[in-house]
Amino acid sequence: MKTLHFDYWMEISYTEPVTECHYTFKCLPKDTDMQQISELKVEIMPHHDYQRGEDSWGNVMIYDDLYQKHDRFGFHIQGTAKTGLTVGEKENSGELVGPYSYPYGLNKAGDRIKAYYKKVIETMGESCASAYETAMYFMNCLYRDFTYEKWITDVNTTAEEAWHLKRGVCQDYAHIFIAMCHLAKIPARYVTGMMTGEGYSHAWAEILSEGIWYGVDPTNGCTVGDSYIKIGMGRDANDCKINKGIMTGGGLQTQSICVRVEEKPE
Amino acid sequence: MYDMDLLERTDTVNELLARYGVKFGIYKNNTFKEQLFPFDAIPRIIQKQEFSYLEKGLKQRVMALNLFLKDIYSEKKIVKDKVIPDDFIYTSSGYMAECEGVAPIKDIYSHISGIDLVQGKDKQWYVLEDNLRVPSGASYPMIARELCRRSSPATFENMKLEDNRNYAKLLRKTMDHVNIGGHTVILTPGRYNAAYFEHSYLAEQTGAHLVGSADLRVENDKLYYVTYDGKLKWVGAVYRRISDEFLDPINFYQGSLIGVPHLYDVFKKGNVALLNAPGNGIADDKGIYYFVPKMIRYYLGEEPILQNAPTYLPFYEEDLKYVLDNFDNLVLKDVAEAGGYGVVFGSKMTKQQKEEFIALLKKEPRRFIAQEVIDFLDIDILEQGKMVPRKADLRAFVLMADEPMVWKSGLTRFSRNPDSFIVNSSQGGGFKDTWVLSQ
Repeated sequence: MKTLHFDYWMEISYTEPVTECHYTFKCLPKDTDMQQISELKVEIMPHHDYQRGEDSWGNVMIYDDLYQKHDRFGFHIQGTAKTGLTVGEKENSGELVGPYSYPYGLNKAGDRIKAYYKKVIETMGESCASAYETAMYFMNCLYRDFTYEKWITDVNTTAEEAWHLKRGVCQDYAHIFIAMCHLAKIPARYVTGMMTGEGYSHAWAEILSEGIWYGVDPTNGCTVGDSYIKIGMGRDANDCKINKGIMTGGGLQTQSICVRVEEKPE
Repeated sequence: MYDMDLLERTDTVNELLARYGVKFGIYKNNTFKEQLFPFDAIPRIIQKQEFSYLEKGLKQRVMALNLFLKDIYSEKKIVKDKVIPDDFIYTSSGYMAECEGVAPIKDIYSHISGIDLVQGKDKQWYVLEDNLRVPSGASYPMIARELCRRSSPATFENMKLEDNRNYAKLLRKTMDHVNIGGHTVILTPGRYNAAYFEHSYLAEQTGAHLVGSADLRVENDKLYYVTYDGKLKWVGAVYRRISDEFLDPINFYQGSLIGVPHLYDVFKKGNVALLNAPGNGIADDKGIYYFVPKMIRYYLGEEPILQNAPTYLPFYEEDLKYVLDNFDNLVLKDVAEAGGYGVVFGSKMTKQQKEEFIALLKKEPRRFIAQEVIDFLDIDILEQGKMVPRKADLRAFVLMADEPMVWKSGLTRFSRNPDSFIVNSSQGGGFKDTWVLSQ
């Protein structure tokens, strides 16, 4: 168990003013069995009264339609999270296990992943009895066989494309891992969040085994524990994109992101 | 039954239709071609009693489909009770997880349904397809009736005939029933949509505003339409003629230029009605079609009044075996395709095509359905002054307000090619008016 302080700042600046902007942020962490959020501070730029809602996956949405000129746009989230309260989340989405069980969007396996999956299954042996153990085995294989490298893939890269390149980032690791779980008939979902340290947001996956969703981080080859703060989830990255927007005007844009998570002294 | 005078006026009516811009757009090899939708003046006539049988069956079917949609996006009892395997829901391209837990106003999903039927040589009617997304076609018999009456008034003088020009009233009632108090708009993707004529005609006939996405905007979780002088008018109902994926670039396909950002969020909060509701594609799915008679029994506890064409799902082993054994007698349909595309007849394949197709069928059984080829009852059309028999179907329209209403007419489409069973307008067929007798 840890008490973490988090600070997530995202800003886009434009060389010319934006005249119209439509956005949806899914950037707010919420309470789960594993984490408890407090002292949450939300700031949206430019300052305005935004709308709030929830999507089908239970993610908190902040969204609005701006018709006022602005040249800076973004959010700043701060708060405290108690993490590692349990080892996983109880399955209570009920009706959503179905959609989490079938290939969708960016997590669809093609022939290449299917061939890899077959190879992995052959080497797995009989020791992996539960869905959890099977998923752990997949995670270890993927951690070994895939290389972390930035700028090779982008946000629209599919699991199959990333696997073909054998290199990519956390989003790609998570998509390929989910694709493999689906082939093994294990429900799996995509998760966005933060990790202790300084840098960007992170992504991993959760798998359902015996009524519990366990966090699995194939990028780091480990299970998700108390140094992780979960933000959103969905079937693939598109379901829980932290920032989605459409704007008119703006000229050239520069995006800056700074995520800082540190342990709070007791 | 009908006056020869009407038939002699075929050319006049077609000229008038052309002048009114009654056209149908077709995309072929990536180019858009607009062509006239050829009208044949010989009406399809349905007796009063026969139509009242169809009416009962259609109401029952649409009621069950609505209950199915509500169930699928909430409790999923029909899946839990193993009436429909979950594969058929979650791998369907028509299933939209974004609709999970979202209840449309008054729980109506399919406000306007187009149900495609054919009549066999045995006089038995069969349902071929349910269209619950954005079915088009009602405007064609509507305007054809109007123009026929104008061209040959004598024909209609003593005819005991249901007036199909009331479609606008039914549609208006349907839209008003779910409107939460604002203006009503018909949202068109624009001039280059195959059914643009229909969008503008229905707007004119119902008194709704015809709008494109640029005329609409979301502000503070409400939808407005922007008048020519820049004023904002609050919108309470949208009859959208844009498919789900293009409706809202923030929530669905991001590249859509014909959608309205956040429209779906406004709908989710109950601040606007969308006709039809998003997510209906699951009920249109050709794989789900197989289960509609089961749905009727499951949700309504009734025996289906209208029959499906005998259908097999290669997904089930025994059905696959039947399909392989009777391949030449069957028509095979790709569940993801529409508009007459992805339809192949077993008997018309070469040996090599057949082998390739069967390999594909075994690899992706969920992707196909197989149906017995129904021996359609031919109906006559006029070709160069002579009557010749052609294959035809009937698209019946069911509108849902406080209860389902069946429009006493329908779009009869025929194939102009004597050897073809495919009547879709996107494949270049023609149309007829459908007369329902009132006595």
